[in-house]
Amino acid sequence: MKSRLGHFVLAAATIACLLPAALYAQDIKVWDHTIAFHGFLTQGGIYTAGNNWLTMDTNNGSGAFTEMGLNVSTKLTDKIRISAQVYDHNIGQLGQWHPTLDFATLDYKFKPWLSIRFGKVKTTLGLFTDTQDLDFLHAFALMPQGIYPIDVRDADIAHLGGDIYGTISLGHKMGSLSYTGWGGHRYDSIYSGYPYFLQARGTQELRYDGTQYGGDLRWNTPLKGLLVGASRLDEDLSGYGIRLGAPNHEQSKKDFTDQFYGEFTYRNLTIDAEIKRFYRDHLIRNLTAEDSSNVHSWYVSGSYRLNKWVQLGSYYSHYTITSTFLQITDTSTPGGHDYDKVVTGRVDINRFLNFKLEGHFLDGYGFGPYPNGFYPQQNPVFAPSTKALVLLSSFNF
Amino acid sequence: MKRIRLFLIAVLFVAFALVSVHAASVKVIANASVAATAVSADELRSVFLEEKDALADGSRVEAVIEKGGPAHEAFLKEYLDKSDSALQSYYRSLVFTGKGAMPKTVGSDAEMVAYVAKTKGAIGYVGGDASAEGVKTLQVK
Repeated sequence: MKSRLGHFVLAAATIACLLPAALYAQDIKVWDHTIAFHGFLTQGGIYTAGNNWLTMDTNNGSGAFTEMGLNVSTKLTDKIRISAQVYDHNIGQLGQWHPTLDFATLDYKFKPWLSIRFGKVKTTLGLFTDTQDLDFLHAFALMPQGIYPIDVRDADIAHLGGDIYGTISLGHKMGSLSYTGWGGHRYDSIYSGYPYFLQARGTQELRYDGTQYGGDLRWNTPLKGLLVGASRLDEDLSGYGIRLGAPNHEQSKKDFTDQFYGEFTYRNLTIDAEIKRFYRDHLIRNLTAEDSSNVHSWYVSGSYRLNKWVQLGSYYSHYTITSTFLQITDTSTPGGHDYDKVVTGRVDINRFLNFKLEGHFLDGYGFGPYPNGFYPQQNPVFAPSTKALVLLSSFNF
Repeated sequence: MKRIRLFLIAVLFVAFALVSVHAASVKVIANASVAATAVSADELRSVFLEEKDALADGSRVEAVIEKGGPAHEAFLKEYLDKSDSALQSYYRSLVFTGKGAMPKTVGSDAEMVAYVAKTKGAIGYVGGDASAEGVKTLQVK
């Protein structure tokens, strides 16, 4: 544990050393255009009692939790802006230092109520799908895993296609309505949680992708600080790989996500709540078998900023899964659910550097075809509950 | 009865004075190229949250913020209803999702006035007592 968490301390110290140089190298001027550079680096460490978590050997303490991104953007005209971001991560067995294009978009604003963006676009789904990989934006070290599972987040974080979006003022002090409609193609990393889950069942996934389309509607209500909204995502996915030495194919028949959410902010207090249903019916094992997976999850979180340095927070995340193929039918058993009680403290050294310390008290391990952090590769025998301590440091400029 | 009336008058006077002081704590300024002479609070919020880049009269605008200080705090409280850290997180979420950019940030009221005066479409704020020479002051409806 000492040497692994030593990596965390070393990386955190490196962040602190690199910080002063990085802070001022943000913008360059090329002809009339300002090109802005931004970036982030996150280093975490996790220690657990119970199950190993998130594909790491966390029962012995693991610092194999690194994320980074570099971002460049410029405004070409008053109406056109382009931006791109490269992202890389290594979290246990996930990511494995294979950089990806997080997004690369061209955004054109016709009117406040009508704009488009296309390219590789971050998906607007619920409150935080598009920002779930940006730890420094959130009070919590780990987002509620029932809705934002870190191990499969590349599944819906972006699409190659386009969005149409805008904000409409409702007048008569009725607030405003923001909408986003999107369509495109999704490409999953083979270093993600679902391929890793399949590995344990004898399948080496080589490709997993498909079309997706959906929309999001959110209402900034007349009650100051209250936002409510709903999102829907439909997908048609195919997977190709090798199973027991032979080609393997899987194909979704029906795949959708519904998400409803609300956020209330009052001064330094933020309260979030979301509820999500994910349903996937797909043909597996060269289309000779079928699985219907059904995930229901929700969370309620609250955070309060005491002053500009310290923020405290807590959430309860509720996740249940059933699967016809894996014969998970009883969500009251530890394998059918994952209930997570969390307390966290965040310290902001300045605008660019923060540290978080977070405790998780997990009941269940929710192991199914939509993985939620626990895998048999690290847990030959699952424990019914897990306690975890998460330490995270992030810097961004 | 007379005492109660006097007390109520005193309360009203103090409340009025407090409101006046509060309202005077920050003023919204814009470059001379901005045609509008007044903006609504909702419009102002939308501009500073990058939901809009034009005012109702069609004037194209670009928000400028201060790094900190009393005018910044007053503006956030009055019009954006966000703390500075929440606002910074909001802008960063736009930047790191490709959905927006960090606004131009200046260090003081004097810098704000100087920048807004020379930048077409710029819209910002300064303390109620700060000089607004070379820029126009917008009334907030």
